[in-house]
Order: sequence, then C-alpha cells, then structure tokens
Amino acid sequence: MDETEPFCVMDCSLVRLATGRTCSNLRELLEAIRTAPEAVIEHHMMRCAVADHFELYEFPNDFARWCWTALGDNVAAEELGLIDPYRQYSSGPLRAMLVNTIEGRLWGLDHVRWCRPGLELHLIESRLIAYDTEERLNTPSALLDAIEQMSMRSLFYHVHEARRRTEGRSDDFSAWLEQLGADPGLISALRAIDFYFLNLSQLREALIEAFRRYVAGAPPVPRSVA
Amino acid sequence: MRLLDRYEEVVGHQEVERLRRLAERLAGKRIVHVNSTRTGGGVAEILGWMVPLMTELGIDARWEVINGPPEFYRVTKAFHNALQGLPVSLRKSDFDLHYEVNRENASRLNLEADIVFVHDPQPIYLPEFTPPDQVGRWIWRCHIDASRPDRGVWKYLETAMSRYRAAIFSLAAFARPMGVPMFLIMPAIDPLSEKNCAMPEAERLETLARFGIDPDRPLLLQVSRFDRFKDPLGVIEAYHLLKPYYPTMQLALVGGPADDDPEGAEVLREVQDRAGGDADLRVLLLPPDSHRAINALQRSATIVLQKSLKEGFGLTVTEALWKGKPVVGGACGGITQQVHDYHTGFLVHSPAGAAYRVHYLLRYADKRQRMGQLGHDFVLQHFLLTRNLRDYLAMLLCLDHPEAGTLVV
Repeated sequence: MDETEPFCVMDCSLVRLATGRTCSNLRELLEAIRTAPEAVIEHHMMRCAVADHFELYEFPNDFARWCWTALGDNVAAEELGLIDPYRQYSSGPLRAMLVNTIEGRLWGLDHVRWCRPGLELHLIESRLIAYDTEERLNTPSALLDAIEQMSMRSLFYHVHEARRRTEGRSDDFSAWLEQLGADPGLISALRAIDFYFLNLSQLREALIEAFRRYVAGAPPVPRSVA
Repeated sequence: MRLLDRYEEVVGHQEVERLRRLAERLAGKRIVHVNSTRTGGGVAEILGWMVPLMTELGIDARWEVINGPPEFYRVTKAFHNALQGLPVSLRKSDFDLHYEVNRENASRLNLEADIVFVHDPQPIYLPEFTPPDQVGRWIWRCHIDASRPDRGVWKYLETAMSRYRAAIFSLAAFARPMGVPMFLIMPAIDPLSEKNCAMPEAERLETLARFGIDPDRPLLLQVSRFDRFKDPLGVIEAYHLLKPYYPTMQLALVGGPADDDPEGAEVLREVQDRAGGDADLRVLLLPPDSHRAINALQRSATIVLQKSLKEGFGLTVTEALWKGKPVVGGACGGITQQVHDYHTGFLVHSPAGAAYRVHYLLRYADKRQRMGQLGHDFVLQHFLLTRNLRDYLAMLLCLDHPEAGTLVV
C-alpha cells in the first residue's frame, strides 16, 4: 500500500463555446448531428452533466431533454435518452446511433414538430480544463471521506471523464483502489454504477453506498494536503 | 479581512481554494478591462468586484474607462438598442464620432497588457488605434443580446472584430457568428452586495411599512422596468384572475421612474390605470440606487414573478432565487436557464398560466419552501460571482491552448 502513489484529487471547469448553429425541429437536429464537429456531440451527450443540478431531470442528455421540453416529442426523447455514449468508445458509432434513432423517428411521422421561437436548441461545444487541487489521499477511507465533500466537477472528472479517457474501462477511484490492492468487491461495485443515468449528486450517493458496503466501520481519515 | 475571505463565508473554503489553484496558472498575467463608465449599470457593477478579486488571486488586473462628449453616449446608447434589434436612425457622422472617440481614448489609456477585455460596443474600436506590440490579445465581452441586431450597426461593429481573438456572450442565444471563437459565460450576482446581502428583520419590516405593504399577507412581486417586454399588464391580469380565490393577496410592481423613456412612461400610465384604486396593488417607482429596498421587498415576497415576453439573462430572477423565493417566469431568454418547473418555480406562457402556477404555489406552503431552498442552492452552485470568475480563468487558460479537447493544466 505504501508504494502506491496517493490519489490526486482533480477539479475541472467547463469552457463552453457557441457554434452559432441552432435547431428548431427534429429534421434540423438530424442534420446537425450528421455534420456537427465531434466536440458538439460530446458536449450535448456527455459534458452537459456538469451543469446538472436537479434530481428529477428525466433525461441524461441535452438532445433528449430538448425533444421532450421544446418539441414535445416524447417518443424521440425517450429513445435518445436511452443512448449511453460511454458504451460507444469512439464518436463514429455514437453519431451513427443518434442518426439512426432520429431517422427512425422521422420515418414514422407525418409532419415534424417545430419548437416555439425562443426554445431552439443552440449547439455548443466545450473544452474541459482540469487542474490539480493539490489534495492527496492515502487510504480508501480517506477517499470515501473526500468523495462526500468533493465538488460535483471533481466527481465528473474522476468518473465521467475518466471513463471517456480510458475508453470505458474504469473510473479513477476504482483504478487507484485496484493499484492499492483494495477489496475486489469494492472495485467491481464502483465499476458497476450506471453513472450515465445518474446526476452528479445521485452519483455521489451511489459511490458512498458502494464504499460503505466494503469500508464499513472504517473511521474517517483526515485528508492530507500535499 | 481580504475580499476572498468574505466570499469564502458564502461559498465555502473549497470553492475559494479551487479558484486560487486555478488562478496560480495565470499568476502575473497582465489583464486590462475597458468599459465606458466606472459607476452605474451592470458592467461597472461586475468590474467593481472582478478587478479586485483577480488582483487578489495574483493576476495583474486593471480597469480603464473611456470617455467622450455627451453626443458619444447618445450614439452608443443607439448602438445598444440596435444590437437588441430596435430600429435606430444613425448618420455617418455618428459612426465617425464613435470612431474618433475611440482613437482619442486609445492614445490616452494605458492598455499595455497580455489580454484586454473590451466590454460592450462603446470601446470596440480601441484595437484599431493601439500599437500591436502593446496588447497580446483582445477579447470582446458582449453583455447584450446581439442575436438579431440592426444590420447597419452590426456591419460597423463587425469590422472592428478582425483584431479580436475571441468574443464572450452570456448565452448561446445571444451570440451572433463573427469569425472568432464565441465563449459563453453566464452572468452572476454578488451575494454580498446591498441588493443581495442578509438584512436585519427590523429593516425589512420598516421597508414594507414605508410602502404600505402588510407583512402578514401574501405578497406577489415583480421587479422590472415598466416595459412591454416585461409584461406588467399580464402580471396584473394574473393578479385579477387570482384575487377572488385569495382576497388577502397583495401585488407589488416595482420599477424605476420612466422620465427619459417615452414608451416606458406610456406603459407606466397604463399600469397605473389598470391598477385603479386597488389598495392591495402597489406600483412603486424607486430611484436606481434603491438596492436595499429591493432586497427587502424580494425577501418579503411570497412568490416572485418575472413574466417577461422577451428577456436578457434576467438577474432579478437570480436575485429572487438566491433569497429562497420560487419564481414564476416567462419562458424566454435567460429565465429558461434559471426557472425549472417544479424545482425552482414555473415557466409560463400567458397571464392565465401565471395565475395557475401562482395559485398552486400559494396553496402549498411546503412546495414553496422546497422550491425556494432548491433555488437558493441552484444559485449558490451556478450563479454567484465565484463561478463567473472561475469561468473567466478557465477561458483564459483555454486561449493559451486552443487545440485541446480536455486540457490538464
């Protein structure tokens, strides 16, 4: 355990950029998904989670939410909401899956619905600026203590962004615990969390619950600052 | 006590520490903000806290202000209206005056810096007259909804953009493509300002007494200019629809006097006519510096309305949410970013919709309280000036590394 590097807590900030493109109906969304840069799809399917706050958001991505709230197309919303981008390890298959879903929906429609002026989907791309907080953790119970306190942005970086970075293999927490030789049950429990369908506050609860099952009784250890 | 320590009491130690960590990467960077006034208006308010906070974070930040004759400000007021889509009538001499005032200010101001933020259209031509070796990068910060500008004015301003590296808009809906990266940074409120700080109960009650408002009866409140886009008549209609169900309910419509705005004066007259002699419906005209009075009224409201038909970001909504009030707001502009149905309030599309949602909220005190708490937490997380500052810092880091998707600094 002593030979393993301490866990380095990162934080991040999302830098958002307007593309100047908007969609007013499902046909325009289809065209946008076909042609927009990868960063746009990544933002609306994955990084939009950083801005989430409420527990009752029906859908985990911007495309599904917009179909539900602005177009009133509940079928499209439900189908788009079920697409998990973290199961597509490159942008090509994800884009193809989105296109296929929307095409399928359009196929069955006699007419497309338009959103009310003012409720258009404005396409955005984003960059994630990550930085070291200089906070270092040495034990699983210290990590649990830190997860209870860390910013939503840190949670996003160590789980969502880590999955993207590792092509779906692992979040940062379980990767570090694995190096530490922690209980394989804890590592599996952390990796089994379906994080994409949780908001960040629910994700925090799920992580804590998994830890408590395996690190129960461990007294909280104060975090060390390097 | 240092400024950041005071904010730490509101946003927590961790948030301020993270700001410090992020700012370390920009230590010593020379940044200049330029606008057209040091007092009055939203931009001056923002720079009033942003420059000292940047300095405290180790950035060499300064604030310069351009000046010009009264005629210059008439022209720039017209530019402002034109960017928001209002038709304006400007002569070539007006554009020439704007250009010349920028030339004069460029020679007078100390703009030597790594980055210069130019706020709004007034100083937009400064780069044209500044030696290229004085400024590393120019960034235009547009605080206005420029999505549907007057064509002539836009063409004139767009020409200036060739010397800029980037632009910043408050919302994607306000941006207009202009050939440079368009960053998005939502505005924020200052939780320690007169308008948003905690307030002694005695002062709150004294303010209500001064305006003849009963603190023991429900109060609906809308704070906004008397402008058709804010739909004050729609608010009165909603109030009239509800009054039979809640006879003790009061409504306060709070705005500034409209002496210099002919259309505003007309709207105010209509509002006063429609209010009639109803003692429970107060139309209050307050001077522009009535921040504490507005603070007291927002804290006293049962529900806050912002029933706009067209809106900028809607910082009055942010202020109300910060004070733990559910908001019933028109589904437009920045209100849609802040009001989320059943969470922080309700978005509505008509006076009937406003009446329906207010009815629901008046009936269920527990829901009001829950939404008020969520609204407060939402602002704490997303709409305080520390988040705004973090966005600026991250954007500056992004400028240094334009190629990266995810950048570890």
